[in-house]
Amino acid sequence: MQIVIASGKGGVGKSTVTASLLYLLKDEYRLIAVDADAEAPNLGLLLGVTEWEEEREHIGAKIARINTETCIRCGICQMRCPYECIYVDDEGNYVVNELTCEGCNVCGLVCPVPGTITLEQVRSGVIRRAITKYGFPIISAQLDVGRPESGKLVTEEKEWAKQIMKEQNLEHMIVDSAAGIGCQVIASVGGADVAILIAEPTPASLSDVQRVYKVVQHFHEPAYLIINKADINPGFTKLREWAEQEGIPILGEIPYDSAIPKSMSMLRPFIEAFPESKASQAIREIAEAIKQEIIK
Amino acid sequence: MQIAISGGKGGTGKSTVAINVAVELAKRFKLILADLDVEAPNDHLLLGVELQNEEEVNQFMPKFDYSKCIKCRKCAEVCEEHAIITLKDGTPFLMPTLCSGCRACEIVCPVPGAIQEGSRLIGHTYVTPTPYGFTLVTGKLREGEERSMPLVVAAKKRLKNLDYELLIVDTAAGTGNTVSKAIEGSQLLIAVTEPTPLGIHDTELILQLGKLMGIETWVVINRADLGDVNEVYERAERYNAKVIAEIPYSENIVKTYVSGTPIVTTDYPEAEIFRGIAERIYEFLRG
Ligand code: SF4
Ligand code: SF4
Ligand code: SF4
Ligand code: SF4
Repeated sequence: MQIVIASGKGGVGKSTVTASLLYLLKDEYRLIAVDADAEAPNLGLLLGVTEWEEEREHIGAKIARINTETCIRCGICQMRCPYECIYVDDEGNYVVNELTCEGCNVCGLVCPVPGTITLEQVRSGVIRRAITKYGFPIISAQLDVGRPESGKLVTEEKEWAKQIMKEQNLEHMIVDSAAGIGCQVIASVGGADVAILIAEPTPASLSDVQRVYKVVQHFHEPAYLIINKADINPGFTKLREWAEQEGIPILGEIPYDSAIPKSMSMLRPFIEAFPESKASQAIREIAEAIKQEIIK
Repeated sequence: MQIAISGGKGGTGKSTVAINVAVELAKRFKLILADLDVEAPNDHLLLGVELQNEEEVNQFMPKFDYSKCIKCRKCAEVCEEHAIITLKDGTPFLMPTLCSGCRACEIVCPVPGAIQEGSRLIGHTYVTPTPYGFTLVTGKLREGEERSMPLVVAAKKRLKNLDYELLIVDTAAGTGNTVSKAIEGSQLLIAVTEPTPLGIHDTELILQLGKLMGIETWVVINRADLGDVNEVYERAERYNAKVIAEIPYSENIVKTYVSGTPIVTTDYPEAEIFRGIAERIYEFLRG
């Protein structure tokens, strides 16, 4: 089974909750974890991974380059680039901004001097594999700074994870998705069997989780909700109301607990570092609910 | 003038810094705050305002006129997104969600009129007056759309027609090319970070981006008492970036965040820290 954990917004505790859930489920199930936040991966860190066993470079991003020797400075490429990535430098040369180029090759197609603009394949990042000290494997990716196509890295991660699942006869893939609703999240949610949404009771988090829920609905996946930092904003009932209206079952609520930031500094799941904390008691109940309602 | 506020990872308090600094600096500049976190725009919620002046962002999408198409497959071959599939006989079909609207297919199609102008709604931009003397510009990607780049570009285009002296850009999390697109054109980049091992890891990436883009970079440490700030200072130094402020974890900040009231408009002692950051930026911009 493939379970994706998403939140829409960053900083609501998605990765910390995921790390503790993995910890609680690891003994009963054969799991693989996928950190699908290729721009800011940290599930591996939270699970104490310090060294990767295998690292694959992902060559896939394409970037346009302009040969200033043959360029006649007509400016057509700059006019036609859909993302405004071509600029004129101090010497009057037309230059592609490699940190924003999407690699669509429109500039190459419209340039009147053949061969002046070439589309080059460059590294977009790396995908890595490790065994956590808890016994289950993890796949993680890191997009190189300023590169496009983080979604493709995530798709590749999931492919690799599927292959490992087959080889090692694993049962469940737990995908920790990125913030937002863009390509990385779509790649994370697409193909999952169930989505677990994590939100905190604030207007910003509600707005973002509603958006990611629409993406989940698009893929017709059943969704569940975990409310994190449930007590930080007592007057705010809209998150629960929304879940009720949409018929999204609430798996549980985790109170704000200073054990969580402390455990993060220790780079350990909070359930392991502070098993008696309020948050740990809550996550144990949530893990039970997941076993009964989702994994079965 | 333009400055960018970014953070590497999500949830570091980037938007809190952005809105508070905007409220302060709006006293001195004709100011626009641009929320370019198009996948999860929240600045309006933190400012307690409703988005206004909605404009659609539509993207080109090829529409095939099969009576003219000669099934040469050129459009499919040139499409970097593999959004066009062809049948055995060469008939092209579009998979709309993969299309980025770049028009490469239209450019290569040898038959005039075989590819016609279609379009798809991919999101919206908004221009919202705030009660704090500045305007908020927001880009919002439609759910189910994959690419945030066109929305960032559209929001930046809408900005160009507005009148301002200072633009503050609030970016998405991460360090991919849409974040660099948002930052592009800034004289100053402020990275908001947390002193946790995870925060430090992500800060390093945003510092790298600042360096690659050749932009002066400052660091603001949020929730400074949750970890070892020395680590952050050390990393910042490595990239020639200055740490300009430390913000402690505070219930008051959480309270104002949740209620949609910028903390600089209150009497809480923490307001002074944000005013201090705004003052530093003001001095920097004045030269
Ligand atoms: S490849 Fe596309 S995005 Fe890159 S510079 Fe050329 S036209 Fe612009
Ligand atoms: S279109 Fe070609 S020749 Fe014209 S400015 Fe661009 S690179 Fe130079
Ligand atoms: S507009 Fe660009 S992405 Fe869309 S089908 Fe044409 S070539 Fe492909
Ligand atoms: S390039 Fe034009 S003529 Fe050729 S297959 Fe595509 S639409 Fe048809």
